[in-house]
Amino acid sequence: MLKIGSLIDGKYRVLSEIGHGGMSVVYMAINEKANKTWAIKEVRKDGIKDFEVVRQGLIVETEMLKRLSHPNLPSIVDVIESDDTFLIVMDYIEGNPLSQSLEEFGAQPQDYVIDWAKQLCDVLEYLHTRTPAIIYRDMKPANIMLKPDGNITLIDFGTAREFKEKNLADTTCLGTVGYAAPEQFGGMGQTDARTDIYCLGATLYHLVTGCNPCEPPYEILPIRSINPQLSSGLERIIIKCTQRNPDDRYQSCAELMYALDHYEEIDDKYRREQKKKLRIFLSSVIMMFAALIGAFISIGVNNKQIEKKYKELLSNGVRLSESYEYREENLISAIETNYNEAYDAIDNLLELYIGTGSDNLLSPQEFNNIKIIDSYIPSLKSNEEKARICYKIACNIFQYYSNDGKESNSIIGSDKARQWFKNSKDYAAKSNMSLLEEKGYSQKNIDILMNLGDFSEILENSKGLQEENERLDGEKNDKQNTIDTCWKYLSGGFLDDIKNPNVQPLYKRMICKYGSFMLYSNTVSMQKSLGENYSYEKVIMAYNEMINYLKSDDNEQAKNILESVKILKEQFEYANRESDA
Amino acid sequence: MLKFAVSGNTDVGIKKETNQDSLLLRKYSTCFGEVVFAVLCDGMGGLAKGEVASASLINAFRNWADENIMTSFTKDGGINYEEVQMKWMTLITSMNAKIKAYGRQNGVSLGTTVTAILISQKDYYIVNVGDTRAYIISDALYVLTEDQTLVEKEVREGKLTPEQAEKDPRRSVLLQCVGASENVYPDFFYGETMPDTVFMLCSDGFRHEVTAEEIFGAFNPSVLCDEQTMYSNATCLIEANKTRQERDNITVALIRSYQEG
Repeated sequence: MLKIGSLIDGKYRVLSEIGHGGMSVVYMAINEKANKTWAIKEVRKDGIKDFEVVRQGLIVETEMLKRLSHPNLPSIVDVIESDDTFLIVMDYIEGNPLSQSLEEFGAQPQDYVIDWAKQLCDVLEYLHTRTPAIIYRDMKPANIMLKPDGNITLIDFGTAREFKEKNLADTTCLGTVGYAAPEQFGGMGQTDARTDIYCLGATLYHLVTGCNPCEPPYEILPIRSINPQLSSGLERIIIKCTQRNPDDRYQSCAELMYALDHYEEIDDKYRREQKKKLRIFLSSVIMMFAALIGAFISIGVNNKQIEKKYKELLSNGVRLSESYEYREENLISAIETNYNEAYDAIDNLLELYIGTGSDNLLSPQEFNNIKIIDSYIPSLKSNEEKARICYKIACNIFQYYSNDGKESNSIIGSDKARQWFKNSKDYAAKSNMSLLEEKGYSQKNIDILMNLGDFSEILENSKGLQEENERLDGEKNDKQNTIDTCWKYLSGGFLDDIKNPNVQPLYKRMICKYGSFMLYSNTVSMQKSLGENYSYEKVIMAYNEMINYLKSDDNEQAKNILESVKILKEQFEYANRESDA
Repeated sequence: MLKFAVSGNTDVGIKKETNQDSLLLRKYSTCFGEVVFAVLCDGMGGLAKGEVASASLINAFRNWADENIMTSFTKDGGINYEEVQMKWMTLITSMNAKIKAYGRQNGVSLGTTVTAILISQKDYYIVNVGDTRAYIISDALYVLTEDQTLVEKEVREGKLTPEQAEKDPRRSVLLQCVGASENVYPDFFYGETMPDTVFMLCSDGFRHEVTAEEIFGAFNPSVLCDEQTMYSNATCLIEANKTRQERDNITVALIRSYQEG
């Protein structure tokens, strides 16, 4: 053991012990003359059975290492031998080993890992191309120093090769042999450059996932099964590095380096983008052809092409294992092929939008994307499907505005969804109704929700005109009456009007029509603002009063209104049950 | 009431200078009757360090047994699995850390396997790390533990056949061991104690060169009628191993249950 503070070889003052290797101790020392810090590795005699043999090996090894010069390797500058010690003086590397980063922070950022991988690959390539080739054999995070400047250095290189040739006939334990490649256990051929590639792959795996391959499940899984955010390109690289059979791995570090330099290109996302570019290019080529000889080519051919493209994109888009972005992109592209039976793509996109996020609602971005679909609907083939899709979208938009706490107003929702409902109705008019209703289309619902939209328009136009306690004035025109009543509904007390024999039937009908919507679209926040004035029983009572009144009214309009009020009451009861549960 | 006859043999073998196997074999009398506690550790690590690892783990288990054996049973005399599992787990985890620290301090890597069995009047409970094994011999030879080795894992995954595994160069590579793994994940096994059964613990050195038939022939309950026979039969098989050039240390412990009277 070197004594702290002692002077070695008349130059190096030992400052402190900085590391404890398997067979050696590393000290920090300062060259007092040159005022430069060095690391001194002392090979411990007491830890080695046959020191003389080891010493001979060390001399050969260090002589060889002294000739190495690479930015990611510490250089050996001096070897000091005496009877009882063997000292190697080398660059002092600042920083901490990556094993420490793993311990402290777990998985490391992918970009860093790829940068380190390139550096490691470079240094291994350098070692492998020496004559004779040097195989490192002990790649692991603990042997990689991360310097303050973000670069890395491969350390623990001074140990002679003899030490690493473990006697594997003895029982050993996975962790202690590092990420030993299968051939390192003997019996499976020589260790060579590909052994280092295996260990580098295992190291990258550990770094990027934070999972030690030497711990359960003792396997190198595809990295994206641990973190789906990781690059599929890197996943492929790691899988290829860690193949059991050396022939299946990258055969040289140069090959691996090429893969690392281009990992994004073997990444799914990149592949997709390239495909997309190719698609755009191809489609413009196709269009050119179509323009040139369109007259001679049957449209069927083009349609077949579109169908093929559509199906390919759709099959990508429905793959549940893929990321949200990937699926969205493919589904939108599928719709954009303008294929006239793109129903599945639209449905799947809607499912994707509604199914993600905690609230089962569209997000504003998704809402905007849905608008894009609009322009592709007219080119669809079946009117039933068009009506169904518009209806479905409309319902989702309605939900979007009705469910969310911030935009909680089904009136606004119905207004925004109105165009879709209207489109749906238009398409439905051209459709086979019974077929359509099997698909969940409901004309009744549309009418109710569209009325709600009308109502919102009235409210919108009436801003500033109303006053809360304004009494009904028979001389006011119908529209003004309606507006006043609307605001009266908001404050809750409108049943008196229905019971009042002086109020005209037309007006009572209006109360029922809009009042029922109002009650229906009562949201929690609205209910709160009404305070004690609001209660579930009160609402049900109001519905019952309306129904009673409408039953007594013989007018044709009243009968229609009665139907819608009944439905709204049922739905309100249902929704209320839901929220109780 | 069940009684137990016990016997333990160990041999350094023909190649190694030190015996890194350690064995603890104890009978305790409790208010429910006799119970047996046996621990076998197969140490590893260069130089003389393997026995440090195996012996220190054995010591830890002995201390545990001396202090806790009486509180390890339920009211009906069965083993309190939860209690014992928790205690053993804690013991192994802390020993793993201690042995690791020792190795780091001394610049060596060392570790040990462990198979410990607690046998009560009603049932038995086993903890296992590594490739030491526990067997039951009654009408045939049954392995109770599952080796935590690389080849055994590949056999389970169907990548190797048991025959290939026997010859695989990696057959002595453990998935984990106490003292060399970052974390230790022991396996636990349990079952019923029956009269006229033989429990056997052995290190991997004992089982490579002799066949299952030979083991059954020498150790089946009808042959092992007293501790003297148990000892001499065990010695016989150990010698057989040595003549067949087994290089490792060889250890085997036998526990035979019988009905008193």
